[in-house]
Order: sequence, then structure tokens, then C-alpha cells
Amino acid sequence: MTQRATTPMILALLVTIMGFATLIFVQQATSPPLIYGAYYAGTLFALYLGVRLWLPHSDVLLLPIVTLLTGLGLVLIFRLTYNVPGVEGLALSQAIWILVGSGAMLFIVLFFRNYSRLFNYKYLMVIAAFGLILMTFTPLGYEVNGAQLWVDLGPVNFQPSEFARIALTIFFAGYLAEKREVMAATSRTFMGVQLPAIKYFGPVALVWAGSLGLLIFEKDLGSSLLFFAVPLLMLYVATGRTAYVILGSILFAFGSILTFLLFDHVKVRVEAWLDPWEEPDSTGFQILQSIFNIADGGLTGTGLGAGFSQTIPEVQTDFIFSTVASELGLVGATAVILAFLFFTYRGIKIALLAGDDASKLLAFGLTAMFAMQTLVIIGGVTKAIPLTGITLPFVSYGGSSVVGSFILTGLLLVISERSGKREAEELLPPEDRL
Amino acid sequence: MNVHLLRTFYLFVAGFVALVGMLVYWQVYARESLANNPNNGLQTRRSIEAPRGLILAGDGKTVLARSEGHKTKGGAVYERIYPQGAAFSNVIGYWSVRYGASGIEIAENSNLSGVSSDPTTLDDLINQVRGGRQPGNNVELTLDPELQRIAYDELGQTVTGRGSAMAIDPKTGEILALVTSPSYEPNNIDDEFPKLIQNPNAPLLDRATQSLYPPGSTFKLITSSAALKAGVRPTDEFFDPGYLDTPGYRVYNYQGKDYGELTFAEALAFSVNVIFAKIAIYEVGPQLLYDTARDFGYGDPYDDFILPVSGSDLGYPVDQWVEGNTAQIAFGQDRVSSNVFEMGLVAATVANDGVMMEPRLVREVRSPDGIIIDRPAQSVRRRPIDVQTAQTLNQMMQGVITTGQLTAAEVPGVKVAGKTGTAEAPPREPHSWFVSFAPADDPQIAVAVMVENGGEIAPNGDADTPAIPIAQDMMEEYLKRDGG
Repeated sequence: MTQRATTPMILALLVTIMGFATLIFVQQATSPPLIYGAYYAGTLFALYLGVRLWLPHSDVLLLPIVTLLTGLGLVLIFRLTYNVPGVEGLALSQAIWILVGSGAMLFIVLFFRNYSRLFNYKYLMVIAAFGLILMTFTPLGYEVNGAQLWVDLGPVNFQPSEFARIALTIFFAGYLAEKREVMAATSRTFMGVQLPAIKYFGPVALVWAGSLGLLIFEKDLGSSLLFFAVPLLMLYVATGRTAYVILGSILFAFGSILTFLLFDHVKVRVEAWLDPWEEPDSTGFQILQSIFNIADGGLTGTGLGAGFSQTIPEVQTDFIFSTVASELGLVGATAVILAFLFFTYRGIKIALLAGDDASKLLAFGLTAMFAMQTLVIIGGVTKAIPLTGITLPFVSYGGSSVVGSFILTGLLLVISERSGKREAEELLPPEDRL
Repeated sequence: MNVHLLRTFYLFVAGFVALVGMLVYWQVYARESLANNPNNGLQTRRSIEAPRGLILAGDGKTVLARSEGHKTKGGAVYERIYPQGAAFSNVIGYWSVRYGASGIEIAENSNLSGVSSDPTTLDDLINQVRGGRQPGNNVELTLDPELQRIAYDELGQTVTGRGSAMAIDPKTGEILALVTSPSYEPNNIDDEFPKLIQNPNAPLLDRATQSLYPPGSTFKLITSSAALKAGVRPTDEFFDPGYLDTPGYRVYNYQGKDYGELTFAEALAFSVNVIFAKIAIYEVGPQLLYDTARDFGYGDPYDDFILPVSGSDLGYPVDQWVEGNTAQIAFGQDRVSSNVFEMGLVAATVANDGVMMEPRLVREVRSPDGIIIDRPAQSVRRRPIDVQTAQTLNQMMQGVITTGQLTAAEVPGVKVAGKTGTAEAPPREPHSWFVSFAPADDPQIAVAVMVENGGEIAPNGDADTPAIPIAQDMMEEYLKRDGG
């Protein structure tokens, strides 16, 4: 599975630099964009060379996609915040977060090549994940836009759920790989549905329900949705039993109705989705502005820098895809969606080729999280589903989101390295084997 | 396990395809209806994101409207500033995202707006291809900022503070002043508008072009034109017994005076209603009076003019006129209605040897870098009277100032021709009118001024004539600079 991706890397960097060059014309922005572009190109290309060097058998095709998406995000954040009072520093801090994310990825590449050790600490992962989420309820945590999902750690603020997600995915992968045989075997039936032994299902259900409960109290709907769906999909892949999916869907339906009735913020979101025209200036404002801007883009878009997506509140984070659709049009937005799909495809391929169950499940879990997150937020801003506050991986502004996505990519790379290496060894003549 | 992995992958693919489907729905299928949705402010945003062109006065220097950029969260937004304020707002209009636009701002929008215009220069084209916002073109008007200011200030100081004025270059048709009072502050229109539409004095109404009033004795210029056409000579004598009986209506002179034996020229100078009624009925006849008024622009909606104009009107079709109507129409009463825009053109026509030039407010349109894009040429609109008639009437109008001893209208060193009007508007005080031009032997400027209910009756029975000094000040100011 040895890959070379130098040409795609250069193409992705060229697209980014072209984006910045356009902004110089359109916004009369002076040299900063070029500095961003050059700095960005240097960082990402160095990262690519590092991965080629240290993980020669890994699926480096992931990196051009990461480069394209983060580059697009940086260009759009610069475009949306340039000269805008109050947010003018966001592009710079995003650039720093990309650097931090690259560092985190490099760290994983260098020190987690033997990632299987992580599965030995799977219960520690659960504790870490819960610890992270619980931090938001301590005095360190604070609320933004009605959701308690931020932690203030002096110099940096971050969203613990972005990292808790990855920790929990590692737990589920490790645990399900160990218990998948016994969990697939059914011991009894209930109303025609075959149920596994509570004994094995218990820890999974407990972690699942616990994390879900915490996030619901955080009012972090987007993360709740991911914490619900990703383990369920992993359970399905691990056991091959559709019963889990059906059971999960029933639970989901009940849960949705319950949260709709119990929590006002859920009710508001759903009502704004069902009929935003009812309150076009308050609860429906954000989604309507998003739709207006998307429609304004048409087939080919208004052109970079010529749209009005700044009318959408929180456009540089959750709604950044509306800017893509508005300024790059249907053509550009579809290309971006295809880039996300391609990343998902590579992730699934890494899972397919992975040698052991735990690796397969981890690669799948991470990919599923990435894909679900993309579907949920793009679906949200295009009014396909109710809106849940969540970032678009790599593209949206947000340090935790960017670093989390880089870590996710790093893990996929080390998983692909192992299977790639094994495959390379199998191809060698026997006398050359170590 | 791999089978299930692939199944979930297909699920994701289906999800991504659905997203593209959603985009197709919004960006292709529902695009138009969303763009026209009243909640969608993006199109108006588009219009304020480019600086509009300047509106300049006729001196090419005085800025009447400009765009000033502000940085906001949504990028630069341009606000319209009107440095000259209320004196020009009936002409310039306002430009509001909330309440729409009026005046030159809307009439010249395709030039002023930097967005919707077709590329006119190479730079425009390059800008448009590059997708940048190009600033709008600059529009230079014909207005003389000093005259406009004098008329606005003086109208505001009259008894009622309501009135209008119009000044025009009779030879070119360039409008030098078009003033209404009261007017409105065009800056901050978004805040002021709700109050303005409630104001009983109707400051948003341009009295110079859109209101209609009885023109009173100023209409005698048209009756005189018809009389001269009918062969009446200025020296022809008429007898005024102080009244004239027509079936169902008795005409009296102003203040019930009787002048006895008078020439036609004297009858105009003293504004004798009885003689004008006699001439209209017995010398001119309804048809010729009607035709002459139509030739001067009565009944013309002026819908090709840059600002909306209420066309002046004679009240009835000519075949319905009875003697009583003809008698009163002769001195601008009954249902005759007009405004300073029309009466200013009538004066200018007499001044310009019977040729009415096309009234113009826009001198030229230039691109931001100074390239002339449009310069409307002067042209003839009407020829209601021949040269001979015009010159005779010119002489008679000079007599109004000299014989009638209208010292208030005199401009030092210059011959002035004019005609007053005190138009009855019961139950309120009459309107005070004055139309004039000067210098009478080489007219540079024609003026029409009207003060609404300004003809206050003094205890001795004389009506106040506040329109005269305003017109005089305008002519003196203009001739001091341009005619001197």
C-alpha cells in the first residue's frame, strides 16, 4: 500500500495559494495572505515529507486532502475575518492551530507506530474521556452560545469533546475487538429480537449512555449525535448484527422525542428547521441566512470574496460550508464534498486492509466519526436535517477541531503503515525477509 | 467484518450524494424564489457594498451626494451623505435600504450604482471580469447651488414657510434651481422617514413639480399670447366698468376696482381681470385659449422629465367651457392648476423668443476616472408662439414692472420682465406668484416663485407679494455673476 502523493500535494498547495492570491485582488488585502500561504505550504509540505520518511508504507494520499481542506479553511477564514473588527485575528490563530495540529500528527507518527498498546489502556481511555467532558462542568468550563462545551486552561481554551471522541473510539475499538465473538452470539430473544448477554454488552452500553448523558447536559447536540451514532456503527461492523442497528434506531427515536420534550434548546432547533419562516429574524435567522447565501451562489458561485455569507452568525465555524456554497457555487461545493468523500473512502480502505480486528475497528470508527461529522454539519447548514452545532473537519475555524482532526488523520496513517509494511514484506522474496 | 465495513461505506456515499442533491435544490431549483424572498437582504446588501457615484451641482464642485464607506462585520458598507442637506433633497432624493429611493438617486441609479450598469469603459469591463466592486459614475447636475440655497432659505422665511421656486436658463433649458419648502433632511432618512410621512406639511412632496395650484394672474401670459395671436395689439383699448356679467357668473376685478379705459398692455400691467375675461370671451374664444395653453405645456404629463411631474391642467375639456369658465380661466382661476415648473417654462419661452427648450437637470455623467459617459444635448421642446408674439409679450411684461411700478422686482442696471399672481385659494389666504426673466433684452434667467397662502391681505386691502423679492434676489444673484 506504499503511496506517493507528491503531485496531489503540490496541486492542493497550489489551490490554496491561488485562493490567497484571489483574495489579494478581491479584498485589496496586502501581503499577509501571501505570508499565510507560504507559511502554510511550508508546514504541510514538511509534514508530508516527514510522514513519507517515517511511515514509508502508509496511505499518504490522506495528506493532500488534509492540505486541500485546511488550506481552503484558512483561505475562507481569512476572507471572512479580514478587516472585520473583533475577529481579525482568527486567520492567524487558525494558522497556529494548523501548526499545532501538524505537530500533534507528527508526534503520533513518531511515537505511536505501535498504536496497539493503546488498546491495553482502553479503560484508561474511558476515564480520560469522561474526565475531559466533566472538566466543562468544573469552574474551568464555560458556556458559548448556550452550550457548556469549552474549557479555559489559562493560555488556551479548548473543547474537550473533540478529544474525548477519539479516546472513546479507541476504547470501543479495543473492547469490541476483544468481545465481538461473544457479543455476536445471542443468548436469548426478546420480542423476536435476539439479545446478547448483558454481561458483555454492559460496559459498552454504560460508556455509551454515560458519554451521551453528559453531552446532553452540555447541550452539545452535534457531539451527542456523533457519540451516539459512531459506537452504534462500530457495534454493527464488529458483530455484523442488524439487530443492534434496529435497536439503536428505536433508542434514537425515543431519545429524540424525549430531548425534544425535555430541552428547550432542542425544541428551538427542531422548530427552526421545520419552519424557519415563522421567526425569520430570531430563531430562524441563522438557517435562513445560510440558505439565502447558498442559493445566492448558484451554479458557479459569486466568486471568492464576493459573497455575503458574513450575514450568517458563526459563519467561520459551523457555517463555513455556506460560504463555500455561496462563493464557489454548486461546482465548488460539490468538489469539496467529493474531497470529504475521498477521505472517507481512504479511511474505509485502511480499515479493510488492516490486519487485526482492533485496528480495523479503530480505523473504521475514526473514519465513521469523520464522515458522520461532515454529514451532520453540511446537512445542518443546508437544512437537510436540524442544525447541530458542530465543526466541519479541517475547514471550520477552531483549534480543538483542527488538532483533533490532525490526530485522527495521524492515527489512520499509523494503522495504514502497519498493513502497508506487512504487505510489502509479503511481496518480498522469502530470503529477504527479516 | 469487511462486508459490513463496505455496507456502512455505501451508507456514507448515499449521505454525501444526498448533500449534493440538497445543494442542487437550493442553488438551482429554489434559487430564484429565494432571491426574491422579502426576508432575503442579500440583493440590497449587494447594492450598498459598492460606493455610489457623486452627485454634483452645476458648478462642478459642490458635492450634493457622496458615498462614505464604513467597516462593519460584514465588510465595507457605504452610507450616502448629503452635505448640502434639505435645500436639495427634493431634487437629489434619498437612498435608503429600508425605504427605497427617490429623486436623482433613483432616476440616475443605473449610472450612480456601481453594480448593475453595463460596462462602459475598458476599466469597467476589467473590473467586472475580475468580479470587483466598481464605484458608480458621477452625475453633474445643472443646478446653481447659490440660487437653490437663496430660494430655499427665503421660502422658509415666508409667513407660511411653504412654497416653491424654479429658475431656468431660457436659452439652454438648464434648470438652475428647483426648490420646495418645507423640505427634509436626507441624511439619516432611515430614522426620519416614518416621521416625515406623518408630517402634515408634506415635506417629502416636491411642491415645485408635483403639487398643483391655481396659477392666478400669471396665467394671463398665456391668455395674452392667445390674444396677440388673435390679432389684439398692445395698444388696443378696452373699457373696464369694474365687472363683467356672464351667464351665471359675474367677474370682478381684484379688490373690486374699476379701471375705465385701458390699453391691452396696461390691462396686463395692472392685471385687470374684467378686461382679460372680455378678451378671452370676445376676442380669443375658448378654442384658441385652450390650444395656446396646450401649446405652452398644459396637459403635458412631462413623463420624459427626469423627476416625476404633475402636469398642469385646464380643468375641463374645451367643449364643456361656458362663458363663465372661459372668463375665469383667462386669469388662471376656475379649475386651472399649475406649478412653478410649468410657469417657469412659460416665462422662459417668452424670454427665448417663443421657443421652449427641453428642461434639463443632468449636465453630464462621468466615470470615476473622468471619462464622459453621457452629456444630454440641448433641444427644443415646443414652439407655442412665434418670435414676433414673444417679443411683443416681452415688452408688455417689462411694462408690468415699469408701468405697474413693481419696484421690488427691479434689478439694478437690468431690464426685468415679469408678471405677478395672487391666486385665490379659499378659505385660506391667496397664493403669491411671480414669474419673471432678466435681462429682458438678452434673457439669461427665467424664474417662477410661488408662496403657498403667502398673499396675506393687509388692512388697507393690499395683498402681500412675498414671491417677488425672492425672484428678485435669485435674478440679482445670478446676473451679478453670470450676466455681468
